[in-house]
Amino acid sequence: MIHFDNVTKVYANQNRPALDHVSVDVDKGEFVFLVGPSGSGKSTFLRLVLKEERPNSGAIHVAGKELSRLSNFKVPHLRRRIGCVFQDFRLLPNKNVYENVAFALEVIGKPRRFIRKVVPEVIELVGLEGKAHRMPDELSGGEQQRVAMARAFVNRPMILLADEPTGNIDPATSIGIMKVLDRINRTGTTVVMATHDAAIVDSMRKRVVELEDGKIVRDQSRGVYGQAY
Amino acid sequence: MRANFIFSEVWIGLRRNLTMTIAVIVTVAIAMALLGVGLMINAQVTRMKHYWASRVEISVFLCKKDDAFPVCKTSGGMDDTQKKEIENTIKAMPQVQSVAFETSAQAFEIFKATYADNPLFVSAVRAEDMPESFRVKLKNPEEYSGAVGTLKTLKGVSNVINHQEILDRFFGLLERLRWAALVVAGILVVSAILLIGNTVRLSAYNRRRETGIMRLVGASNLYIQLPFVMEGVIAGLLGGVVAAVLLIVSKVFLFESVQIYLAANSQLEWNDVAWVITLTMIVGVVICVLASFVTLRRYLKV
Repeated sequence: MIHFDNVTKVYANQNRPALDHVSVDVDKGEFVFLVGPSGSGKSTFLRLVLKEERPNSGAIHVAGKELSRLSNFKVPHLRRRIGCVFQDFRLLPNKNVYENVAFALEVIGKPRRFIRKVVPEVIELVGLEGKAHRMPDELSGGEQQRVAMARAFVNRPMILLADEPTGNIDPATSIGIMKVLDRINRTGTTVVMATHDAAIVDSMRKRVVELEDGKIVRDQSRGVYGQAY
Repeated sequence: MRANFIFSEVWIGLRRNLTMTIAVIVTVAIAMALLGVGLMINAQVTRMKHYWASRVEISVFLCKKDDAFPVCKTSGGMDDTQKKEIENTIKAMPQVQSVAFETSAQAFEIFKATYADNPLFVSAVRAEDMPESFRVKLKNPEEYSGAVGTLKTLKGVSNVINHQEILDRFFGLLERLRWAALVVAGILVVSAILLIGNTVRLSAYNRRRETGIMRLVGASNLYIQLPFVMEGVIAGLLGGVVAAVLLIVSKVFLFESVQIYLAANSQLEWNDVAWVITLTMIVGVVICVLASFVTLRRYLKV
């Protein structure tokens, strides 16, 4: 599903590469944690998958497409197959829960009948039933992140990228967030989650890819956050 | 494509930047009105030139007895052979197409008709006071300088009046007006472009959250950019409508009053005005679209 082949990314005005000859494979339906300290290249990895950045060398395949051969014109279509969740939720403050989720479908031109059908389903999937008409500032952090996940998943993407989704949320609430991610993963969606949160990684027992200074230092199925087993 | 989604976005954008939008509309309106006035002057001049082309003539006035003109001091009026002689000289000139003679009586009739509303003035003048004249038509009325020079030196000619010369002065004035209108229009177009650029930049900044999410969920460039371009189109169209009103007003109050003095049967028609309005509308909208598009490229990463 995601295939990095010897990928190097150096940002302009920086000597040290953000990713240094990284090769990794993520299969369809996998759940992968991307761990490592700040600046280790986790976010760069996610940005490269979205084609928000281009690698300096190496090839990236996402959903069967080689990204360097994908014209700019087709990038939006790639992004429709990838859902994104961030630490800061990125909800629209002047729209309620339903409208925030529906926005993702409106802007890709889905018919209104379809939107009316699928949005309530997804709101229920993330556990926000009955809160569709709340505004974001009336929700807790965990609930806001659920809205963001509903928006990321409403178009049934093949891949869900989560960049520190529990970074702004207390540990108790984080468990709920992880349950939703797990539920999404069980529908067959590939999930890649970048995180610092050792407790979560340890409790989930999923594949762990550890980055350090742009290099993969560990790739372990059913791994934990720390070095030791 | 969800039309009402786009339009609600456009409406929000226009409302958020209301003052800037008004500035754009006013600038576009004045720029387009001036451009339109320039084009209308152009159309008017063309029509007038066309009208006068077959009518301009050179009046060659002959000396009469006790004439006040200094050149007539020596000749005490003209006899028929002298007149015939002048007529033949004129006819022999290569530039001349035709010559007609106007007697004092004919001139007096025309004079009476012209000043019919001023009987006191008419009653003070007698038919004998009117000078006789030759009415000369040139093959090419625009090339008169040589002919007029020659005619002035003829013996027994008191004065030469060339319609073309008067018309040229008038056309020259119109031409200068047209250029002034176009230059000011050009400057305003530049400021309109800058204003639109700023408006779009503000709009893009205000809506960076929305556009960021749109990008993320895979909205096409068209979907992301269209609301901004539509804001420009609507501002341009509203400016065009205001400009159209200004042009109609100027046609009624400016051009029609000019015609009373000189353009008699060469009225600027509503057809011309409609054409000018259509053209200025198109130009206004195109400018707005291009300006928003170019600034979008800079401020809205897609």
